[in-house]
Amino acid sequence: MSRLGARRHVKEEQETDLDMVPIMNMFLVLIPFLLMSASFLHLKAINTSVPVQAERHTQAEASEPKVEVTLVIEIRTQGFHISALSDALDGRELAKLGTDIPIGEEGAYGFAQMADHLETVKNRYPASNTMLVIPEPAILYDTIIQTMDAARYSDNQDLLFPNVVLSGKVG
Amino acid sequence: MALGQLRRQKKRPPVPKLQITAMMDMFTIIMIFLLVSFSSKPERMTLEDGMELPQSNAKMDYSKDVRLILSTTTLTLEGEVLSELQDARIAGMDPDDLRSSELYRKLLAYREEADATPQDPGAPEEGQPHLLFFCDKRLPFETINSVIKTAGMAGYPNLQFAVLEK
Repeated sequence: MSRLGARRHVKEEQETDLDMVPIMNMFLVLIPFLLMSASFLHLKAINTSVPVQAERHTQAEASEPKVEVTLVIEIRTQGFHISALSDALDGRELAKLGTDIPIGEEGAYGFAQMADHLETVKNRYPASNTMLVIPEPAILYDTIIQTMDAARYSDNQDLLFPNVVLSGKVG
Repeated sequence: MALGQLRRQKKRPPVPKLQITAMMDMFTIIMIFLLVSFSSKPERMTLEDGMELPQSNAKMDYSKDVRLILSTTTLTLEGEVLSELQDARIAGMDPDDLRSSELYRKLLAYREEADATPQDPGAPEEGQPHLLFFCDKRLPFETINSVIKTAGMAGYPNLQFAVLEK
């Protein structure tokens, strides 16, 4: 009985503390390094060209039967004026592709309407991918970028008019 | 005697342990955040204070070409301030005679240097060089037009507009 009682001793569980000092050392080295190399602003780029070297225009080289339409978007203070250029279409067809989108009551441009119209043209002439943007002198750079954004992708993230030529009004 | 024994047996107050569990939690969260935002292309770009780039849904990465920065106060090419802006007009730039501007001369020099530099035989052809253009979103097109026209005349018709990812 006494032997049983002697064996029956409760083992004291020793509390072991995890030594976190080496982990803290590692953090104190890694965090300043990561802070210095962290990027909080992500820069992207929009490819644009200016109409200087006309011989690079691909329409002259195209011998394909696909109809390509170049949309011309004039950004005015009163809104968008959209017209179309194409060697394969006559004046009447091109006139049908144009439209005017006035600014809203609060002075906001109709980017969504413009994107819908561009999508309609793209669905009709899928080979088209170039647009010419002609802003008025007072139009802000931010508005120009938003116009390019609205014209780049459709709602389904399909490419619309990714090739942009930026030009001032001539004449 | 009994009192001396009592004094020896007197328990010392326990040494307080530093609770670093909370600090560990905080460091772990900060580490995860910084690891996620770690940039594999660590490049330093100096933009003017107060310069606001436009936001865009563009997904293309920029290329490391000649950098042109147009803020509301200065026009800078590859870190060198070329001229100042006053009321959104670039000093020293005549819209009717862009070839006489400092910007045109400098860009032409960069272009000639790039053409004179022999390319590696094994490297792929790069085609036309690009100009990486940083512009403040509040500037009107009238100001920008002079700059991009000058760039086009100097042999940089292809531009990359730098934007912030949305």
